[in-house]
Amino acid sequence: MWQRSADLAETEALELKKAPSLRKRFIFAGTGVIAVIALIAINLVFNYSQRLADLSYDRLLLSALLQMDENILAENDTLSIDIPWSAFSTLAQANEDRIFYRVESSVEGYITGNKTLMSKPPSQSELGKPQFYNQTFSGEVIRLVWLERAVTEANIQGSVTILLGQTRLSRETMAASITTRAIQVILLIAIVAIILIMLGSHLVLNPLHRIEELLEERQPGDLTPIKLDTPKETFQLKVALNHFMARLHKNLEELENYTAESAHQLRTPLASLKALAENARDQTTPERQQEALEQIVQQSENLSDTVTMLLNQAVVSHRLQTQRLIPLDLVSLIKKSCMEQAVTALRQGIHLSFESDAKVLLIKGEAFSLQQMMNNLVDNAVRYSASKALKDQQTKAVDIRIKQGVDRVVLSVIDYGDGIADDEKSRVFERFYRANYEISGSGVGLAMVKEITDRHNANVQVSDTKPTGATIQVDFPLFIEKESEL
Amino acid sequence: MMLAIKLVISLLTISSGILFANPVVFKHESQRDQKASFIQEPRILNVYSAVDLDAFEPLLRAFVEKSPNTTIAYYDVNTLELYHKVVAEKDRPKASLIISSAMDLQLKLVNDGLAKTYQSSMTQNLPDMAKWRNQIFAFSLEPVVMLVNQNHFPGKTLPKNRLDLLKSMRQHSDAFQGKIGTYDIRTSGVGYLLASQDARQADATWGRLIEAFGSHQVQTYCCTSAMIDDVANGDLLLGYNLLGSYANKRALGDPRLTMIMPSDYTLLLMRSALIPKFAPNSEDAGLFIDFLLSPTGQKLMLSENLLFPIDSASQAINISPKRSHPTRIIELDQQLLVGRDHAKQSRFIRSWESALELTELE
Repeated sequence: MWQRSADLAETEALELKKAPSLRKRFIFAGTGVIAVIALIAINLVFNYSQRLADLSYDRLLLSALLQMDENILAENDTLSIDIPWSAFSTLAQANEDRIFYRVESSVEGYITGNKTLMSKPPSQSELGKPQFYNQTFSGEVIRLVWLERAVTEANIQGSVTILLGQTRLSRETMAASITTRAIQVILLIAIVAIILIMLGSHLVLNPLHRIEELLEERQPGDLTPIKLDTPKETFQLKVALNHFMARLHKNLEELENYTAESAHQLRTPLASLKALAENARDQTTPERQQEALEQIVQQSENLSDTVTMLLNQAVVSHRLQTQRLIPLDLVSLIKKSCMEQAVTALRQGIHLSFESDAKVLLIKGEAFSLQQMMNNLVDNAVRYSASKALKDQQTKAVDIRIKQGVDRVVLSVIDYGDGIADDEKSRVFERFYRANYEISGSGVGLAMVKEITDRHNANVQVSDTKPTGATIQVDFPLFIEKESEL
Repeated sequence: MMLAIKLVISLLTISSGILFANPVVFKHESQRDQKASFIQEPRILNVYSAVDLDAFEPLLRAFVEKSPNTTIAYYDVNTLELYHKVVAEKDRPKASLIISSAMDLQLKLVNDGLAKTYQSSMTQNLPDMAKWRNQIFAFSLEPVVMLVNQNHFPGKTLPKNRLDLLKSMRQHSDAFQGKIGTYDIRTSGVGYLLASQDARQADATWGRLIEAFGSHQVQTYCCTSAMIDDVANGDLLLGYNLLGSYANKRALGDPRLTMIMPSDYTLLLMRSALIPKFAPNSEDAGLFIDFLLSPTGQKLMLSENLLFPIDSASQAINISPKRSHPTRIIELDQQLLVGRDHAKQSRFIRSWESALELTELE
């Protein structure tokens, strides 16, 4: 099993301490929601208990009122009332509440009750329909029921009004006791819910812990996919991890191949160097020795180029993997690269020419690797042209052109060398493949170009130059500023 | 020690508009000492009470003995007057404490918001039927009785209940002429209460009773004590609806008198105390209520045959050999307001007057 170093463990512990906790967030959010719900519920309970208490005691009040109403009587053509004892014994069920009442008629006015109790229901009153409402009287808020009805006695016209009220003490007590009870229940439910959330969060996050444990327990080289039954929510995580590990596995394999092939590539020139050196040692005449040494120097330069190329390849690979692509001007970059290489090319009898449709063309790219790409393309073209130039005994040219398409930028590097045979065109981008072994080269350059263009979402292809030679076209997507996120 | 407390009767001019009976003042001995009065100003406890002074005096004395800094000014008032006086003084009351047996009037005062809330460990121990809203507190419970002069009573047996009484009146109609006494419900608050409770308990019996009273020229009284006097000296054969505590005390010391608790039903009446809303010296009023309800106060009522204590209501019923007959406790609750309904009250008094063949009071 893989052991963490002590330092690493310490940093991780520190990071863990600072890191926001998924579980805490979950619990906080859950608790917040429950608290809000509980508050709303408590508010509702307050209103509800008030209404319930009013409803219950209003029935008593109405019952007493109706008993009074039944006992309205006519005495010698005047209205009076004989309040039954039972009416007030009904009201006495609200045992601490004071009672106020007033009976009056449209003809006689005041009949009995509190002379000072004057009241009208706030809403439109209707004959024969009892109305309930609150009003302040005698220093307290009282609940009143109000009833006006037509008189049914033969000799008396008009209406009679009964007003009956009681203080709200029993109502408040009842409402308070309902509220207290309900709040207790609500709080209990809220607490239970919060505890369940805490337990639930543990349960929900458990599959993550299981994946974590499984990864921790793995052998260092084990990049096989995770085989674990996970719930739907962590299935994507598992898949992503597996994909990631597959890529890692592929990269590792490539790296191994690359290392092996690099070693192989270096062994051949080294063996050749050794042979040349032995040859030089065995030569007897100084002229021949001199000649052999020249060959050794030549071979060493080639070897050095190969190593440089390999190093560049490594740097480019690293940069491509680590750097983000940013908008940059392809025209100035290519121009600069051409100017740098112009002198070297000229020394080999090659004339570099550069032309561009536009002054500035933006693409998303990584500057260093694009330079390397350019170096390799130009270097390649010069090399192939140079051998032909030597043969033909005349100066050759390599043309570099940038053309703007609708949403593309096309870079062409055109040489007039011997060209590349059709069956080899598809293979030139393979690493360590060399079309012409007479021409010095590492076999790495165009493979690197391919790698770079792939990373830039660009197409690269080889075609023939008329009448002779090869053209390499790189087709970049144009960066359009409006689409950028800036 | 009892000698140390002097009963002082002083004439005081009443500053209020209503000329009111002069109070009886109770002070602790030390308060009469001039030197001592420098030390502490005595606190005055004005008591408006419908309890006869005779029955209350030992309790008042015991209280001032216990609280030497308090001086009691005792105003003996009729129950109905008492009510009107409290209403008249409601904004600036002179009384610290109101004591009355007219439970309905007392309750009406509380219902109309004229009483102050008071709470103590003593009031908390009271049963619910003996208090209301923590503003009115009953401190005694007594039966409402008939009192008979057995020397003059016609027939062999004394009536046990109201029907017996009706029968006796029928049989000895002449002997009963002008010889029955009862409360004038127009002038006595407690008298009205008892009559209205009778009418409520047994409407038919009550109707027959007042018809019979009317045809035998019933005498009407303001107070129980006057009725007892007339029964004792033979002016009356029988007094109807008397307060049990007074009747009992007199009957114990007078062989001519027999107290009867009607066996059809016996009303039980409570005397109650309340503190007016804006009462001066309400602290002492509260202390006095506590004293009345305390074991000391309650025992004193029983031992001195003053009143029947509330804390052992059964004691009041025990005086009767027949415990089986029903008792009706008049409870301190909102139902009492019905009896004092304006329309009901005037109708009730009118029918009482017409039954008793009395002319309306001026």
